[in-house]
Amino acid sequence: MKITTKLALACTTAMLGTAAHGEAHSSTYTIGITQNNVGVDSYQTTYEQAFIAAAEANENVDVVVLDAGGDVARQIAQMEDLIQQDVDAIIIWPTNGEAVIPAVRKASQAEIPVIVTNSNIAEEGFDFVASFSGPDNITQGSRSAEIMCDRFKDLGIETEAQVVQISGQPGYTTAIERAKGFEDRLPEVCPDVTLVETQPGDWNREKSQQVMEAFLVKYDDIDGVYAGDDNMGVGALNAAFAAGRAEGITFVGATNFAVGYEAMGRGEYWGSIYQSPVDDAEAALQTAIDVLDGEDIPFLNYFDTPKITQDNMDEFTKPVF
Amino acid sequence: MKNETRVNLIKQGAIWAFIVVELIFFSVAGEFLSVSDKAFMNFDNMLLLLKQSAPIGIIALGMTIVMINGNIDLSVGATFALAAIVLLDSMTWPFMEALGNWAIPLAWFFALTTGVVLGAINGLIVWKTGVDAFIVTLGSMLGFRGLVFMYNGEQPTSHLNWTLVDFAEAQFLGLHTATWFLLGAALLLWLLMTKTVHGRNAYAIGNNRDAAVNAGIRVGPHFLWNFMLIGFLAALSAVVFYSESGSVNPNDGMLYELWAITAVVLGGTKLSGGYGSIVSTLGGVIAIQLLRKGLGHIGADTETVNLVIGLILIAVLFLDRQLNRKGKEELRT
Repeated sequence: MKITTKLALACTTAMLGTAAHGEAHSSTYTIGITQNNVGVDSYQTTYEQAFIAAAEANENVDVVVLDAGGDVARQIAQMEDLIQQDVDAIIIWPTNGEAVIPAVRKASQAEIPVIVTNSNIAEEGFDFVASFSGPDNITQGSRSAEIMCDRFKDLGIETEAQVVQISGQPGYTTAIERAKGFEDRLPEVCPDVTLVETQPGDWNREKSQQVMEAFLVKYDDIDGVYAGDDNMGVGALNAAFAAGRAEGITFVGATNFAVGYEAMGRGEYWGSIYQSPVDDAEAALQTAIDVLDGEDIPFLNYFDTPKITQDNMDEFTKPVF
Repeated sequence: MKNETRVNLIKQGAIWAFIVVELIFFSVAGEFLSVSDKAFMNFDNMLLLLKQSAPIGIIALGMTIVMINGNIDLSVGATFALAAIVLLDSMTWPFMEALGNWAIPLAWFFALTTGVVLGAINGLIVWKTGVDAFIVTLGSMLGFRGLVFMYNGEQPTSHLNWTLVDFAEAQFLGLHTATWFLLGAALLLWLLMTKTVHGRNAYAIGNNRDAAVNAGIRVGPHFLWNFMLIGFLAALSAVVFYSESGSVNPNDGMLYELWAITAVVLGGTKLSGGYGSIVSTLGGVIAIQLLRKGLGHIGADTETVNLVIGLILIAVLFLDRQLNRKGKEELRT
């Protein structure tokens, strides 16, 4: 028994050491966050760092930062723990937009406001959520359309240009909304530009490359390619290079990735939408504070995702992902 | 003999002593470090602890038996996910929708049957080919996960049924539905392992398979039953958990096999078989969930949990080895 106790003590002391930097002082709000999967990509890692930094900068806020590690069961347990700890508000980055709805309902029954961050939960759960803080995908789509149209005007081809679209994975809200934003806005700004065809690239670079190869065979005249994110956009760019037709084509994406940023730096890729994990994290914390302050905030509380093109790219740092 | 009892007592008591240490540590540390005003040793929090232990706990109970046999089952995480998909998807089938809420028990039945069938596949292969269970279930882990992805691609499978959610969230005599399933399964398996011939055979086979064969125990069918049992329990775990959450990602249940094995080993069950107990496994499961919960309570990084559990696991195995060696040396003198 003695050895066990000693070992256990040694381990618990180790835990105390690692835990010691989480400080406890009384303050106005305690906000808990349960994240999706920190460490799986640098967007989420940067998000967590930015969130902690923003919370430390605000002395009226204490945060409990948890990570579900991509495991729905663990996220639900963390929601229950946060409810049990009686935090003032809970921010959740859903591991699964539907599986967490009952847990969100529990929080709302305990009268704890829930703020969904980054990607929204399914509509059935909207009644239990105070606010959603994240990117506005429809605006992202329409801004991409504006970038494309402005470029065509500069090139003087806005009366006859032909555009193809590579959309994200079918069924994903993000994919549907970006496509809708683009398709609705393009005829408004450039009525004479035609969108000749749309095919899904499933967020996948290789798939998008194949889709683009097919487009290049099918159409002799392609002036612009809109991709649902830069990953797919770069896939399309590679296909155009292979066919020797990259020169005359304007590539516009969304969610500026490092590969897209680099291709823009080389002058091969025209523009995208800049979505910063730092803005995402700060917006989520601010939304939670505003909800607790009783301020009137919209149910869908978007943070700004600006346009980035070859012209203004030096105003932005290279994305970490 | 007296010495052996003492060693056994230490082994089985160790995990509970560790749980007590954890409770004390988190209660004290929580006072200073937690941003919450609520005590860690709050009664409701402890009830929640049991409930949150259920998903891995129910699987770990089955893993105990398989490991006492000297086998292992790596496919439980994939079985868990596949049973969950069957549970949720079956409720959207037209004839099931026509049944209204009567579809719920039927969906449970389908999911549990899925688990038993997948377990039987493992068991049959182990029995008929004689290939080591580690390899067989490593293969089926990949294969079953492949089936999960084939079912619905990378999309989650969802069906939210509020009747089901309300049932799963209910508390009867204070305990959550999931806790009842965990404790019920633990009681039945404890009876199975301590009071029945099947249980005694499990220990005998794990201890010395040749001797067990010579003693007339039909080892193959025995393995088959145990793999069906763990398949059933993995599916039961899915039924209990997904009744409450209503949507399954295709990668759900990944690494559950490792958490279950960790819990079993923490509880003192030998990897080589022949020794172990259901009650201690329950302790191992609670110890892991307590660590996750407690570290969250005092505001430590979630990753710390993995580090600490890893350290403890190695410590436990080391301790086990020391105790066993001591026992043998004393026998020789």
